[in-house]
Amino acid sequence: MAALVAVTATALVGGCADGGARRDAVSGVAVRLLTAAGDGDGAAACALLAPDTVAALERSAGASCAKAILDEDLPAPTDVRRVDVYGQWARVVLAGDTEFLAAFPGGWRVVAAGCRSRGERPYDCVLQGG
Amino acid sequence: MRRFVRENSLGLVFGVLFALALIGQAFAGHAAFNQQQVADGLPPISFGRYVTSSDFGVDVAENWQSEYLQFFLFIVLTVWLLQKGSPESKSLDEAGTESDKDQMVGVHAPDGAPAWARAAGWRRWLLSNSLGLVMGAIFLLSWLAQSVAGVSAYNERQLSQLQDPVSWPQYLTEPEFWNRTLQNWQSELLAVFSMAVLAIYLRQRGSPESKPVGAMHSSTGVEG
Repeated sequence: MAALVAVTATALVGGCADGGARRDAVSGVAVRLLTAAGDGDGAAACALLAPDTVAALERSAGASCAKAILDEDLPAPTDVRRVDVYGQWARVVLAGDTEFLAAFPGGWRVVAAGCRSRGERPYDCVLQGG
Repeated sequence: MRRFVRENSLGLVFGVLFALALIGQAFAGHAAFNQQQVADGLPPISFGRYVTSSDFGVDVAENWQSEYLQFFLFIVLTVWLLQKGSPESKSLDEAGTESDKDQMVGVHAPDGAPAWARAAGWRRWLLSNSLGLVMGAIFLLSWLAQSVAGVSAYNERQLSQLQDPVSWPQYLTEPEFWNRTLQNWQSELLAVFSMAVLAIYLRQRGSPESKPVGAMHSSTGVEG
């Protein structure tokens, strides 16, 4: 019975209690990416991207991430409307953008940004890893 | 000490086997999770983080709930349902909750019987149904844990595929939830069905789950 309570507690912790600190960290990274890109600071913006996203951007643009990201049509930062954090992944919904982030040793990094919903299908994103 | 081990070997062996299997599942699940992380271009996570994750939680809970459902149904339904020739069934004339004399309660309680077997009212009722109630309660709790951990694990995968997460009520209508649930239920029900029917014709000498080797196939409610 004690084991069941432990598993239930684990489930509840894993399921619901991704605390405010994680949400703040996630939304902070999402907003800083758009702010840096909007300010023309490509290096700062790229430092917030996941490695595969940097690689995909450089491959498609044929230029360094710091240069290429400024040519992407990322929206300006707006109010954060919703943050979802589940395990190693998170989604931040802003008034004008949706971003997907994953957990890395150095903190949350943006895997996809400039995303638009396509209903049941995966989001269509301006910037996307892999 | 040796006497204690011998007299409790059934519980001790299954307890140890359970712990070993759960530890093995944790290591295998951790390795599988990290394979997926690497495939997604993400860093591996620690063992500690994995065993407190919803991914591990749902994999454990979905099996637990079905096991306890199996035993709950088996315990409760065998009060009334019979299987001719099966040692898992009562004799064909004993269906039902039986008399107080047969169940040794009230004035029929022998010396050394649990105190609540002699008591009247809710206490006797609670003791009389405690096994089914506890098994049923653990089933419901495990199923709840499966759903709570399941929605979190499901949403983690949804986000990794750049798709929307769902709420807990939405998850309860998702094919994923019912696929996890029913694939476990069917295997448990098959096991009970097999045990009830195969034990009519097959024997395991010395096992209380079998009839005596020489018992007739038609003998019901006889354990060896």
